[in-house]
Order: sequence, then C-alpha cells, then structure tokens
Amino acid sequence: MSDYFHTDWAAMTTNDWIGTILTVVVFLLMVGVYAYALRPKNRDKLESRRFIPMDDDRIETGEKHGG
Amino acid sequence: MDATAEQKYSFDVVRWFAIMAVVYLVVGALVGVYIASELAWPVLNFDSPYLSFGRLRPLHTNAVIFAFGGCTLMATAFYSVQRTCGVRLWSDKMAWFTFWGWNLVVIGAVITLPLGLTQSKEYAELEWPLDILIAVVWVSYMFNFVMTIANRKSSHIYVSNWFFLGMMIMITYLHVVNSLAIPVSLFKSYSIFAGVQDAMIQWWWGHNAVGFYLTAGFLGIMYYFVPKQANRPVYSYRLSVIHFWALMFGYVWLGAHHLQYTALPDWTGSLGAAVSLAMIIPSWGGAVNGMMTLSGAWDKLRTDYVLRFLIMSLAFYAMSTFEGPVMSIKTVNALSHYTDWTIGHVHSGALGWVAMVGIGALYHLITRCFHVEMYSLKLVNLHFWAATIGAVIYVVAMWVSGIMQGLMWRAYDEYGTLAYTFAESVEAMHPYYAMRAVGGGIFLFGAVVMLYNVIMTVRKSVSEGNLEQARTTVLAPA
Repeated sequence: MSDYFHTDWAAMTTNDWIGTILTVVVFLLMVGVYAYALRPKNRDKLESRRFIPMDDDRIETGEKHGG
Repeated sequence: MDATAEQKYSFDVVRWFAIMAVVYLVVGALVGVYIASELAWPVLNFDSPYLSFGRLRPLHTNAVIFAFGGCTLMATAFYSVQRTCGVRLWSDKMAWFTFWGWNLVVIGAVITLPLGLTQSKEYAELEWPLDILIAVVWVSYMFNFVMTIANRKSSHIYVSNWFFLGMMIMITYLHVVNSLAIPVSLFKSYSIFAGVQDAMIQWWWGHNAVGFYLTAGFLGIMYYFVPKQANRPVYSYRLSVIHFWALMFGYVWLGAHHLQYTALPDWTGSLGAAVSLAMIIPSWGGAVNGMMTLSGAWDKLRTDYVLRFLIMSLAFYAMSTFEGPVMSIKTVNALSHYTDWTIGHVHSGALGWVAMVGIGALYHLITRCFHVEMYSLKLVNLHFWAATIGAVIYVVAMWVSGIMQGLMWRAYDEYGTLAYTFAESVEAMHPYYAMRAVGGGIFLFGAVVMLYNVIMTVRKSVSEGNLEQARTTVLAPA
C-alpha cells in the first residue's frame, strides 16, 4: 500500500505543482460552498430563491428578489 | 396569451431554435434508425461509400447532439434567462448570428461527413474550418447569455442559469483544446496531440461533452422547466447548489475511465473510476430534487403529458448516472468495453434523459412562445409512449447484446483457445440489432408525431392570430 501511494516529490515539475495546488484549492472552495449551502442559518435565504421561476411577473415589473 | 412577455422579450429567435430542434430530432433519429438497420441488414449500404455506416454514424451523432441538442439548449437558455432575469436578450442581432451560424455548422456537417471529411475524433469529427465556426458561434451564444445576466433585474442568478453558464464556459475550453490541429489543406488537418496524450485529450473532451453539454446544460433545462410545467418550486434550492458545484468539480476527472486497459497509466483509469462512483451521489441528488418537485402533486402526471416527459427523463437520468460509474469499474469494464453495452448505456442517457427532457421543455416553450395550446394533447401522449417504449426496447436490446458479446469474446475452451470466432459473435448479435432498429423506429415515429403536432400548433397560432395579437396588443403603462 505504501508503494502505491509513494510520491517522488523531487520529480514534481512546475506544471505538476500548479495543477496540484489548483486542484486542492478548488476542492476546498467546493467544501466551503457545501458548508455555506448546508448551514441552517442560510436555509431560508437560499430556499427563497426556489420561487424565482414561479414569479416571472414580479420580475417583469422590476421587483428584485432578495439576496 | 401573454402580450407583456411577447413584447418585452426576444421570442422570435427562441421560436426558430425550437422549431429547428424538432426538425433535427427527426433527421437525427432517421439517420440513426437507418444506420441501425444497416448493422442488422448490411444490404442497405447499397455499396455506396456515402451511405456506409462509418460515414453516416458521425452524421447521426452530430445531428442529435449538436443539431437537436444545440438548438434545444439555445432555445431554452435564451428563453429561460430572459424569464428568470426579467430582461430582454442583450442583443437580438447576436442571437440571430448564433442561430444562422449554428445552422451553418449543421449544414457543413451534413455535406462534409458523408464525403468522409473528418478529423476522426469521436464527437469532434468536423474539420478545422467548421471547428473555428463552432467556436465563434458558441462564444457569441455565451457572450449574449452572460450580458443578459449582467443586465438582469433580479438580484439573484437562478440555478438554471448557473448550469447553462457552466456548460458554456467548459464547452468553450474543451472544444478549443481538443480541436487544436495543424491544417494541411482546406479539409484536412492533424491533431497537435499524439499517441496516448491524444487519446487522453479526446476522452477528456468526449466524457465532458456528455458531462457538461448533455448533462449540465440539460440540467439547466430541468431546473427551469420542471418547476414551470409543474407550477411548483423546485424541491430544494440548497440541493441544487450542491448538485451544481459537485458536477462542476467532479465531471472533469472522468475521461480516463474510457481508456481502461490501454497505454494510459493505470492510476489515471482508477482515479477516473473512483470519481465516477463518487458522482453517483450528486447525480442522484439532482434527480431526486427534480422528481420531488412533484411531491404532493403526483396526480399531475395523470393529465399532464408534457410533465410525463420531464419526470420520465429524470428516471432515465438516475438510471444512466448509476450505470455509467458501474461500467467504469475495471472489473466491469473488462466485460463491457468495446461491446454494445456501451451503446445501450449511451442511448439510455441520450434517448431517455437528454431527448425526453429536451422534448418536454420544447412542448412547454412552444405553447408559451406561440401563445396557443398544443394542437393535439392526444398526440403528445402518443409521442410520450412511443419515446418511452422505443427507448426501452433499444436499451434492453443493447444490454443483452453487449453482455452476450463480452461473454462470447472472453470464453475459452478446455484447451485455452477462444471458444467463439468474432464472426460467430456477430451472427449472434443479429436478432438484437434488428430489435434495436425496431426500438429506434418506434422512437423515430414519436419524433415525427411531434413534428406534425408542432407544425399544426404553429398553423393554429397563425390562423387564430394569437401571435400577431400578442405582438400588437397595446399594453397598459406599468
């Protein structure tokens, strides 16, 4: 198993590092979005947006949705 | 009749995209049924290279994916972005440029592919001049969409627009990189990538064409049109947010699972398979989110035939997003790869998910844009059953055929030699290939019924003067 996960860090090129760092950063951002979406405090705010397609008329008169 | 919406929004280009989508659905399915019949009855080749399977197959895939799928995505995105943002399209002229440019690409495909002019890249067969045209037209589509969002009256960008936008950005990136080639003549070029790198880029594009174009884009359709048709808000907005970001992050990793047991490093295939399995969770989350929108109102399915298309599409979406990851596992892939099982899987997604959700959205949109009810609801119901039965027959035929193929190819006798010749496996496939052609034929029949119904609906709108009335009614000042 240790062989399988062995990484030759010295062989990492600049491209390898850029790709690795970008991937980890994007993954952490995604986890951050999950935390934001699932936080009970944000529930009402997010769920209020469900009604946007139902409220075409309100948008047409220029009324903005909250958020 | 909604004169306010008619006069406020750009519906002309939406109407034309919607009608062309229905026309291309018939054309694409017709070519598909023809080549399926060629595989069952090779005499249909008529010894003509222009009618051979190798040349017509890319015509079929381009017609259904880019002609039908593209026109559907453009009609629905341009329609729903205006409705959810409360503003007219940023540029009518640019939208018409997108319409004519996209149809020019389709005509280019219809001419060049039967002539054998191809880059030989799957789902990216068109030669470099058409690739450049695709990129320009696609960017015009995206730019107009983004600028419309930028001008919106609502402060929040509804989730369907996020899905459409994710598709637009990723397809631009994927198409440009995968199509990088060195032209040697007007209709011949060579990819700048070679060997296994070329294969990896090809399937990075190939699977993401499925993931972003045929999934994210059509999920944008689902998140707007299911709630609208059901007249109920989507089940959970938070789930839709998670669905979106998981899809955007996850799909880009999957391409390598198309290259198991090849020269590609082993770990890349394993990674592709592992992320594929993880993708079941958000995919099913999205499917449940769409279906549960009907929670407490399932009775609507008894009477609303358009809603049936939309909900049935989600059942197929759930099924194919489970099947795909299972097929990416190396053990299963060893049996399924290069067999008709893959064709069955692709068509459960294409016929069951993409076509059905697109068809449902088109029915919804046509009644709104032409300000008239469908000419015949019975024909919509007939179409629903033809599409469902046709898809199921097709998919089941290919499942049985594919698994049988895989088992015959790997069977050994007591001396360690292959138990069957390749020709014997081909012969065993014949009944299933005939069954596939029948299933496809039933699906095609449904598409023809839809085209007839849509033409009669448009004629009804014109003869009753609904469209003209919506355009000319004097509105009370807001």
